[in-house]
Amino acid sequence: MSFREKSAWISLVLILVMFGAYFRTVSQVVSGETSRASASHWMLGLVLGFLVLEVVFHLAIAIQSPRDARAPKDERERLISLKATRIAYFVLMIGALLSLFSYWHLGMGAWPTSQHVFLSIVFAEFVKFAAQIVFFRRGV
Amino acid sequence: MGCAIRNNIRQLRFDHAEMTQQDLADRIGVTRQTVNAIELGKYSPSLEVAFQIAAVFGVPLDQVFQYDKPGR
Repeated sequence: MSFREKSAWISLVLILVMFGAYFRTVSQVVSGETSRASASHWMLGLVLGFLVLEVVFHLAIAIQSPRDARAPKDERERLISLKATRIAYFVLMIGALLSLFSYWHLGMGAWPTSQHVFLSIVFAEFVKFAAQIVFFRRGV
Repeated sequence: MGCAIRNNIRQLRFDHAEMTQQDLADRIGVTRQTVNAIELGKYSPSLEVAFQIAAVFGVPLDQVFQYDKPGR
């Protein structure tokens, strides 16, 4: 498995685990089990934790294969990155438009709307890394 | 993803002192996984990389890559 594919797997799993936990907390806010302040603290902690774990795991795979880690992306890796980002862009746009629709036409408040937008960003990133893995495995 | 471009890279590597995918990758400036993807027909390289591969083996491009018209 190439360095870039390992990197995509790390980001995919971290997004799933870390932000899965966050949106579980958000669902608890919606059902009244916890407060918005608690969710905000979670968010700060998880974003910081996410960044730290990304660095730690990427350092670990870079130590395993330092030459691959130092090498710039080749043409296939750049193409995979571009195609995956294109797919993620559409996911983000749909999420953003649904957020606007909910805010304008369904009377959703500012906090739920901000969570909806954040969910769209996180899901688009998830789709990007998932698409990269599919392209790495199945071809591009 | 299959494609209509076939190649003889594996055979050419074998004929050139059993050159490894990593050796070829180093010479043309791509990763070993990209050479593997090209060999398996999972990725069609750019013209630049295709010419570089042919140059490494010292053969014309059409001895490395062949194009099958779809429907043939």
